[in-house]
Amino acid sequence: MEDDPFDFESDALLASSPVVAPKKRKKVIGLDDLLVDHYKEKNRVIERESKIAKTKKTYNSDDDEDGRVAKLSKYVDECHEKAQILLLFFHYLSEFMTKLSDEDDVSIWGLQVFGNQKSPPSFEFTNLQSCSIFHSFLNHEVNSLVELSTESGETFFEGLLTNGWLLKLVQKCGKVEKSIATWTFHLMLYSSKEALRSAAVNFWCAILLKNEGESLSLKIDWLPTYLELNVALETYGYLLNSPKKDSCDTEMDLGDSEHVGPPQNIRAWIKYISTCSQTRNFHFVFSTSEVEELVVVIIRLMLDRQLLGLSMDLYECMISLINFFKDEEWSASCTKISKSIASRIPLDINCLRAVECIPSVCLHSKQLRSEIAFRFLLGYFDKVEDEEEVIRQLTLINLKDKTCDLFRIYNYLVLTENWFLYNPMMKEKTLLNEMWGLYLRNCCCQINITDTRSYASKVRSKASYLVQVTSDTMIV
Amino acid sequence: MGTTRRRGGNGGMEENTMAILDTSCFSKSTQHIADDRLSFLEAVRSGFLVPENAPAPTNKIYKEIFQILKVENSLYLIMSSYQLLLELDKRFPQVYLSTAKKSESSSPSSLPCNELVVVEEAWSPFAFGTEFSPNEKEDHGKTSGSLDATAFHDLIKDLVEVADEATTEVLDIKPLRNMLLFQYLVSFLEGDFVIRNLAFTENSDWVTLRESLLNMILVSRKITYKTLIKDCLSAMCQLSQFSMDSSNVLTPSDTESPEVTEKSHTALAIALPEVIKHTCVSVQKFLSMIIELDSSKKAADMEGWTTRADGVRTPAMEIIMDELTYDKNILLPFFQALDKPKLKLDMIVQYFQKYIPKTSVRTRRSNDSTNNSTFGGVLKCFSNENNTKSIIKKINTEVAQLLLAHAFQAFISLPCQDSTESKEDIVDNSLPEICKNMISAFNCLKKTDEHIVIPPFGKEALFTAAVMLSGV
Repeated sequence: MEDDPFDFESDALLASSPVVAPKKRKKVIGLDDLLVDHYKEKNRVIERESKIAKTKKTYNSDDDEDGRVAKLSKYVDECHEKAQILLLFFHYLSEFMTKLSDEDDVSIWGLQVFGNQKSPPSFEFTNLQSCSIFHSFLNHEVNSLVELSTESGETFFEGLLTNGWLLKLVQKCGKVEKSIATWTFHLMLYSSKEALRSAAVNFWCAILLKNEGESLSLKIDWLPTYLELNVALETYGYLLNSPKKDSCDTEMDLGDSEHVGPPQNIRAWIKYISTCSQTRNFHFVFSTSEVEELVVVIIRLMLDRQLLGLSMDLYECMISLINFFKDEEWSASCTKISKSIASRIPLDINCLRAVECIPSVCLHSKQLRSEIAFRFLLGYFDKVEDEEEVIRQLTLINLKDKTCDLFRIYNYLVLTENWFLYNPMMKEKTLLNEMWGLYLRNCCCQINITDTRSYASKVRSKASYLVQVTSDTMIV
Repeated sequence: MGTTRRRGGNGGMEENTMAILDTSCFSKSTQHIADDRLSFLEAVRSGFLVPENAPAPTNKIYKEIFQILKVENSLYLIMSSYQLLLELDKRFPQVYLSTAKKSESSSPSSLPCNELVVVEEAWSPFAFGTEFSPNEKEDHGKTSGSLDATAFHDLIKDLVEVADEATTEVLDIKPLRNMLLFQYLVSFLEGDFVIRNLAFTENSDWVTLRESLLNMILVSRKITYKTLIKDCLSAMCQLSQFSMDSSNVLTPSDTESPEVTEKSHTALAIALPEVIKHTCVSVQKFLSMIIELDSSKKAADMEGWTTRADGVRTPAMEIIMDELTYDKNILLPFFQALDKPKLKLDMIVQYFQKYIPKTSVRTRRSNDSTNNSTFGGVLKCFSNENNTKSIIKKINTEVAQLLLAHAFQAFISLPCQDSTESKEDIVDNSLPEICKNMISAFNCLKKTDEHIVIPPFGKEALFTAAVMLSGV
């Protein structure tokens, strides 16, 4: 082992070269050495400066030696100064770049749509025992194997529901008794067990869609109304109006996180609404004004960051709701929904999100998107009612003005873009299009590339993108 | 929907859209990058999905969206890119049947001239380079961003872990992202496979089916095909069990106080159960596509259309059946998770056939799946005490009961069960007969084993059988 030349930790090796080791260590430059050097350097500079101060007096003397030293030190100083300036410049540049690009005040959308949850309404299982399938089975001979009793009834029926048997049974019988309907509906909206609530919502979606294209019809003895769904939403803590940003924090402190909504049942709620609105031809569940309100609710749910993960479900739900309306009903409802949304969502980053979350897949939804964008724009201007006036107002804005709020300009851009893009009628309005083009050019030209105001670069790049795109489509 | 505007994407559009992302190159703030990416996704949507006759986005754009789905940490961006990719695939399919598009205007009776159109050089989330170059993979990672078979297999392995990861205190975004990525990939595979398989059944065109992405993955030498199937099985069981009992694990933990993280935590907690459920469905979709591919390949084999290049691959069904036989731990979770009634019924019947005494039932492997009274036949075996005894010796009583119940459930869930086209003439397989035999099978089980405990699921099946019998 002692012979191992690579064993540096060997005691023998250390012992045999006691002098070498510390010498070697000196070669390694540590942080301390650097610091010492730094201070030495500093001292030297001070000394030199005092020397220079002395020599400056004798600068014109013929002493060559002194003159050369003075020149040299002057040169060194100049270099030093230049380097300092360069450093300063880099510092400013980097600051400028971060200012230009980072825009620390990029606002993040998000509304608090849910407050504290309330306790769910109670439900008595005993009603279920009156249903015929339960009743008829108690005296059935097979019950000697199953051993169903009134006591074990609830657990047993929960099993029937979660494992999908109940659905098969009602489909076979062609009838959903009221007791079963109310029980499953309650579980769907209020159960804390995932297996139960998801089975219950599947049950409901299946029975609601059952009549579609099938010969065997299914009679549902009891259908929940809009009111019941609304009560559920309130129980989840849904707030009709979101609290203002500053009061938001205090409210968050009040509610302990366990009870601030929404509960997991919100998924079932969304799915149920979505399915319900697809079955207008078979069941009368919602009136048009109720569906209008639901669209508003769904858009507001889209603004709650807690529900981000459900955006696909919300998106599909919104499409179903929007397609609930017949074409002749839509334009009136669309205006109503837009007005309601514009009055209930603050004119900040959230209004952009509200517009962008609206699907753009069908005529109805495109119309809604355009209309909502327009309503938000109207909200920015007092006493302006017509389209032309809105655009005219936009073109009048002086973007060079230092007090001009560029974030606002950015919002105008996005809103107007949506308003124009999603409304096929807008293409024909040449005057409006020309004014829009003018506005876009203003945004490109009046904002300098070195403009350090926040949102300056965003407005510029958005506008130039839109100029490109609109000119492209014009050519095509 | 137009027909010929694939790849027509004009350069200007691409440049403009991509430029939105380029501004981020000198910025270090993640918030700002995220913001740019969002604007980018929104621009793709408004540029390519909104106009009625827009061209398909270029591959560069696709790649960028896919990249966002693959690496992003913000829930919002992950969801948006996932959704956008799905919508783009729907709007601009990579493979389609030409008459499927025309049929909107012309009469649907003109079936025979269905022609498969494969869009040349279309972007794909999958890239199968030459099998033997080790550098290829790295290159792909950098340039195309697409996944090869190994990466896809790794993703499935990750799914197995998801359930464990999600139960820990701190919820991470990664499992959710992986699940959405997997769902997207399966949906892409499906879009490719279903059309090609349709073309195969209509035009007997094996070559295009062989070139399907699904087949490319399965024949890839970079992965072990059997392990892939096994990993799918365990992923399926894990995910389904997690979604069955995830009642209270996902409450937000109190340790995280800052408002933002707390909110994203809640967002994850609310989203996870649904995503897990959908992922489980996707795994099943993937498996059943493989099974379909197997049967198409078998048909092609019979007709002599395959060549030696196609190689020999054990049908997925056989691997699954073997796995179920040898790994008793996944037997019941698997059938609990399986949501495809026909497949479920076939598999359980096959499983029973291994244990049914040869003398009583001819155990020839049924080739066609519409085979007579297979489940009825199994139930018949249970009406005989000797048979029942010998079956129970091999499978225990509880497993036998649960399998019967699962099979019964699959039977009553079969879609054609009401219309009774092929079922009516076979008395054994009519619903009342099956219900009656279910009850007698359980009675018989009780006779052979006095101390039998019927599990809840079995009781529910009996209840259903009894009510259906009296109600119908």
